[in-house]
Amino acid sequence: MPEFSCLPPLSLYIHIPWCVRKCPYCDFNSHAVKHEIPESQYIDCLLNDLEQQLPGIWGRRLSSIFIGGGTPSLFSAEGIHRLLSGIRARMQTVATMEITLEANPGTFEQEKFNGFYEAGINRLSIGIQSFDSDKLKRLGRIHDGREAIQAIETARKAGFENINLDLMFALPEQTIEQGLADLQTAIQLQPSHISWYQLTIEPNTYFYTHPPVTPDDELSFECQLQGQALLASAGYAQYEISAYARNGQQCKHNLNYWEFGDYLAIGAGAHGKISRADDQSIHRYWQVRKPEDYMDATLRTAGKEILSEKDRVFEFMLNALRLKQGFDLELFENHTGLSRKLIEADCATAIDSGLLTQQGNRLHATDRGYLFLNELINMFS
Amino acid sequence: MQNIRNFSIIAHIDHGKSTLADRFIQTCGGLTAREMGTKGQVLDSMEIERERGITIKAQCVTLNYKASDGEVYQLNFIDTPGHVDFSYEVSRSLEACEGALLVVDASQGVEAQSVANCYTAIDLGLEVMPVLNKIDLPAADADRVSQEIEDIIGIEAHDACRVSAKSGIGIDELLERLVKQIPPPVGDPDAPLQALIVDSWFDPYVGVIILVRIKHGRIRKSNKMQVMSTGRSFGVDSVGIFTPKRTESSELSAGQVGYIIAGMKEIDSAKVGDTITLTDRPATEALPGFKEVQPRVFAGMFPVEADDFNDFREALEKLTLNDSALQYEPENSSALGFGFRIGFLGLLHMEIVQERLEREYDLSLITTAPTVVYELLTTKDEVIQIHNPADLPEPNYIAEIREPIITAHILVPQEYLGSVISLCVDKRGVQTNMQYMGSQVTLTYEMPLSEVVMDFFDRLKSVSRGYASFDYDFKCFQAAKMVKVDILINSEKVDALAVILHEDQAQRRGREVADKMRELIPRQMFDIAIQAAIGRHIIARSTVKALRKNVLAKCYGGDVSRKRKLLDKQKKGKKRMKQFGKVEIPQEAFLAVLKIDSD
Repeated sequence: MPEFSCLPPLSLYIHIPWCVRKCPYCDFNSHAVKHEIPESQYIDCLLNDLEQQLPGIWGRRLSSIFIGGGTPSLFSAEGIHRLLSGIRARMQTVATMEITLEANPGTFEQEKFNGFYEAGINRLSIGIQSFDSDKLKRLGRIHDGREAIQAIETARKAGFENINLDLMFALPEQTIEQGLADLQTAIQLQPSHISWYQLTIEPNTYFYTHPPVTPDDELSFECQLQGQALLASAGYAQYEISAYARNGQQCKHNLNYWEFGDYLAIGAGAHGKISRADDQSIHRYWQVRKPEDYMDATLRTAGKEILSEKDRVFEFMLNALRLKQGFDLELFENHTGLSRKLIEADCATAIDSGLLTQQGNRLHATDRGYLFLNELINMFS
Repeated sequence: MQNIRNFSIIAHIDHGKSTLADRFIQTCGGLTAREMGTKGQVLDSMEIERERGITIKAQCVTLNYKASDGEVYQLNFIDTPGHVDFSYEVSRSLEACEGALLVVDASQGVEAQSVANCYTAIDLGLEVMPVLNKIDLPAADADRVSQEIEDIIGIEAHDACRVSAKSGIGIDELLERLVKQIPPPVGDPDAPLQALIVDSWFDPYVGVIILVRIKHGRIRKSNKMQVMSTGRSFGVDSVGIFTPKRTESSELSAGQVGYIIAGMKEIDSAKVGDTITLTDRPATEALPGFKEVQPRVFAGMFPVEADDFNDFREALEKLTLNDSALQYEPENSSALGFGFRIGFLGLLHMEIVQERLEREYDLSLITTAPTVVYELLTTKDEVIQIHNPADLPEPNYIAEIREPIITAHILVPQEYLGSVISLCVDKRGVQTNMQYMGSQVTLTYEMPLSEVVMDFFDRLKSVSRGYASFDYDFKCFQAAKMVKVDILINSEKVDALAVILHEDQAQRRGREVADKMRELIPRQMFDIAIQAAIGRHIIARSTVKALRKNVLAKCYGGDVSRKRKLLDKQKKGKKRMKQFGKVEIPQEAFLAVLKIDSD
């Protein structure tokens, strides 16, 4: 009988579903602001949502909070302050808890960011995407290259030291040189963390129905290789497919996802995952998507499922193999509640195929497996 | 008998045959509106028939029509299968009638297939009545189309009935003219029984149902009947007509069309075109024109999952219950595992069977490129038939390869004549006739069936912007210089990809196949080398470059269910691929040889 010896760490994800406008590549649950954001009412709903979920995690401490979107930096500092105070009043937290807020250039007023810092936000994740004003326009962003740089300065002035820059490559008609120049600029700004993604055209986006001309596989792969070398030489160590950190300043909240930890979710369209000691089950649930519906609802959960053994294995691999370091078999057992014996055969096949490697109790993708991660993960489904 | 009218409808796909039939049934009160249902097209009972607008099995409906002369007429409408692959079945359906309605779309004009069936009808002595359908469409040009019918088919068409089956225009006049123009059947009800088998199908409750036209004599329940080609006897359980519901009657007699149920378990016992007589008073002769249908095209079909083999066999067994033209034998491919080599009447027949297997029996199948049957004379003077390129012996055992030749009838507007002729030449065709008929030209070519199986039909449509139409008959086997072209994937021969090609074209086609395969095989984790070879001689090579990576750029907590679906989809995409060594080959690649664009 599988059993959790102890429950995994617990994070909290808060979704703020509004943006100034919707970007053509974005497939997240975000909505262009039509009139005014019902900020205060939404925060009431978030806290109420959290309260309803408390019985499921009674006695557990929060180890990180991530306020994502959308553009959470559209909210006022007072609002964020009230939200965080409300959470602290309702839950126990670990002392040095990481609290990240996603922010987009174009919403950076110095005073507001001073306020965010005072409210307890200690990590900013800034959606730069590019420093090239032409490319930013193609991506539908509201900011230009100059504002991108100013945003970082504003953040620093407010006191933020732990800053992530979100950056994309393989943008429409982007050359390798342009892609690397963006990265170079980001590195010069010395953030603690860089998330460097290849632009992916997702279903249900404007780009999906109106595909732009993006660099072909060869070009974007070349850009990726050169960019990774650049990051490494500047001291940014890759620890996940698209995540790079200096001096071990990895994102604790995201690490918890990738290590198949637990997370509460509040806000429109947010997804949560909770393990339960009483019946040894793992639940996934998601809240109603539309902000209006979410605020209207008395019951905010739109759907839920209990993960089967197969789901647990697959989802664990889907996450943990993204980490450069892979995972320890002990972590697998603790976080899935399953015996390592269950995956022995599939691991052996994957090792045979040259996509996975094992050292002691630690398993991680080989260099090749890291490039063909989908193939590797599918060996566990 | 004077008040019986047996007729069928000759029409091209989409020219409105099924809608017209529905309208007849409705006018004569055969079914209530509720029974007609919302789907319409009552006679096309299979889902595929309705979807593709093709009738696969012949069906029949008996309707009572009260004409303006006060008489009640029994109309027997026999719905015929409508495609080149089924020309023999069509001829037997026509043989059961005294008349035929030639239904032509007034906005489109005459098509070759209708012409061929029309000639068959005229040869069989039927009264052919032209009918212009879809007369209410804005694009309808009744005068032009009437002229075209006269020019091409040579029957009077200027006073042709003008109808719209869809909106009901002209249906009453059509029925009035039908009972006047189409002659009643002739036959002696007191002579020994001669009943023509028009079609037969398997019903899980009563066994085989035989659709017959009684030429002479009569048959009733508990008679003992005999099938003349086999001499086998059966007790008659029931006879009757379709209204279109199956309705038992006391007897069927000369001139009538109806069904016989006689406890048969296999439709092979009641082959289309055969004659039924009575055991105690047999006819001296069978009706003329009976022949056994031969599959002309063979293809291998293999379950994607080896576990599905038994389900696949059961499905084939069930399909053959209702399709005597379908033949199959087990086939073992080193690339694709266990499957069946299946014989079809033609390409459409193949597509239909494949679709039914996948849809009705939920099987995931890989189909290899269809090939024709070759006749082979060995150096030991034996004649053998080759159904599978992989079975072709080494050249030193072959004295002669003979390929099947067909006579192709093509109808094309003059402006596309040049391009159609060059297509026929490219397909190794030899012209035997060419006739101008008004603005259209009829061409007759002798052509290898293998060329038709490749991509002839599609290319004919494309070079004539869809205006040329085509029909064919099997003619003979004829010696030809054919060679086997093997396809190698990463230096290993894949037996299921081998094709037989004419020597003169083997080089070029081999190259084209290798190129096409490169397009059809998705990039994978490794380079994939594709080679075409004749014997040991490599004639073409192409490479599918390896993918650089296959990884999701982003994945966070909330994404998990979405990403799971995405990967699931990638995995499902692979379901229709067959693993060959490390390489995954998709279904389309097995048909690459059919998809060469040689323009």
